[in-house]
Amino acid sequence: MTIVAGMDIGSTTAKCVVLEGQRVLGKSLSPVGVDIVKDAERALEAALADSGIARSEVSFITGTGYGRYKVYFGQLVVTEISCHARGAHFLFPGTRVVVDIGGQDTKAIRVNEKGEVVDFSMNDKCAAGTGRFLEVCANALGFDIGEIGALSLQAKRPMRVTSTCTVFAESEVASYVSRGKDPKDILAGLHASIANRTLSLMQRVGIEPEVTFTGGVSQNGGMVRALNRRLGASVNVSPLSQYMGALGAALHGQERQAGGAS
Amino acid sequence: MITGGLDLGAGAVKGVLMEDGRQVLARSILPTRGNLVQTAHQVLDRLGEEANISPGDVEYLCTTGFGRYVLPERNLQVSDFTSSARGAIYLFPGTRHVVDIGTQSSRTMAIGPSGKVLKFKMNEKCAAGAGRFVERSSKYLQVPLDQMGPMSLSSAHPKLISSVCAVLAETEIINNIAEGVPLPDILMGVFLSLSQRAYTLMRIVGVEPEVTLVGGLVGNPGMVKALRDTVGTELNVAPDAHFAAALGAALLGYSRRLKLGAPSPGALACPT
Repeated sequence: MTIVAGMDIGSTTAKCVVLEGQRVLGKSLSPVGVDIVKDAERALEAALADSGIARSEVSFITGTGYGRYKVYFGQLVVTEISCHARGAHFLFPGTRVVVDIGGQDTKAIRVNEKGEVVDFSMNDKCAAGTGRFLEVCANALGFDIGEIGALSLQAKRPMRVTSTCTVFAESEVASYVSRGKDPKDILAGLHASIANRTLSLMQRVGIEPEVTFTGGVSQNGGMVRALNRRLGASVNVSPLSQYMGALGAALHGQERQAGGAS
Repeated sequence: MITGGLDLGAGAVKGVLMEDGRQVLARSILPTRGNLVQTAHQVLDRLGEEANISPGDVEYLCTTGFGRYVLPERNLQVSDFTSSARGAIYLFPGTRHVVDIGTQSSRTMAIGPSGKVLKFKMNEKCAAGAGRFVERSSKYLQVPLDQMGPMSLSSAHPKLISSVCAVLAETEIINNIAEGVPLPDILMGVFLSLSQRAYTLMRIVGVEPEVTLVGGLVGNPGMVKALRDTVGTELNVAPDAHFAAALGAALLGYSRRLKLGAPSPGALACPT
């Protein structure tokens, strides 16, 4: 069985998945800085180390994500939209809508029973409703992005955050803090605000079960609950959700390879 | 008769004292920090000192700005639109279009000869069109706010910003720095981006001369140049334009006070 790699070079992190047939051999997640090419290299090396294989054993590399054209050592480039669709369908074959909340953009993708993209809607113009929004507000509250989801789940009286703009929400958060509001309640409000924005994005492509939640923000338990509440149903989430783009890229690579061989 | 105008804004509290609706006796400005009422009181105290009058001498106090309702001793409050328009007419009687770029919002207005607002458009939803964007840029470019404008004037090839979001623009600007784009070009790019957004609002309202620029960013030569280049017409900019809304409030307060007739106890009189 041949081994392929999928790389998702996002705005905030680089994800890499090494795949052999249906089996994920290893993966990596690392921050992306100014030198995207170097960060991509590093992500690949880390995933290879995690898999315990040499680079020469990888027969095909596919790149996706915002920095996908920087994966110059890869053989194929695919948009992150079809990668998330493909990855979500692989893990949850019943997926009809994929919601991808990343560091800098949010997408709602409608897929068919084969995991092909039927329609999509995205926000990449404005930080509101993205991971960046959460990050800025987490910093304003003095928390790390990794801990705010769990904290938001402990809220007793969730606040309503009215600002759409991330910059104004940051000020709004600061004013709540100065008025002595519980940070957990503010956090719950911030998560609800993103859930609202996400839902309107989903409505544009049409909401149909099952919904699979992907992207970095899918690892945030508070966001999963906020989305479930707003949706009135449970979204699919996997520990691999953050790697969905990379996984989808690897799967596309497999297909391309199989197609090329025949 | 002395009237006071107080503009309680998101970035600063501006205040003026006027005599008989003509002469400016005092002006004062303090950044808005924490308690808005407290900042407003500090501004009022300074105004009194500068004009060398006691609080009781102010006969009528009119507030404006987003915090216009918080000051209990006000006699009247007017919207930011009304006050900016009136202030612009006072500064430049030929004004027919007012552009007001503040810390948290930007707005454009078509006004009549008496300062009546005929049509307006505003953006208060998004920081990309407001002074907050400049403030944030100042922080991560590590250029003091008052130096941004002068520095930007030496820009030869302004680096335009493609992001329409203040937060995403931040990433873009940081990338520009990493790529070695000269600082003046980045700074002018920030001002041009803001100007283009303002111009969009202006065109919706309809641009008609004279155009007067008021609000917190008037003191910034980079912003003024960017706006002139974008709009392509001359802009009225007075050194006092930052106080336009406060001036307008003092003037509107004066008119109201005249209409009311009989004198009332001083607006700022302390209870004995």
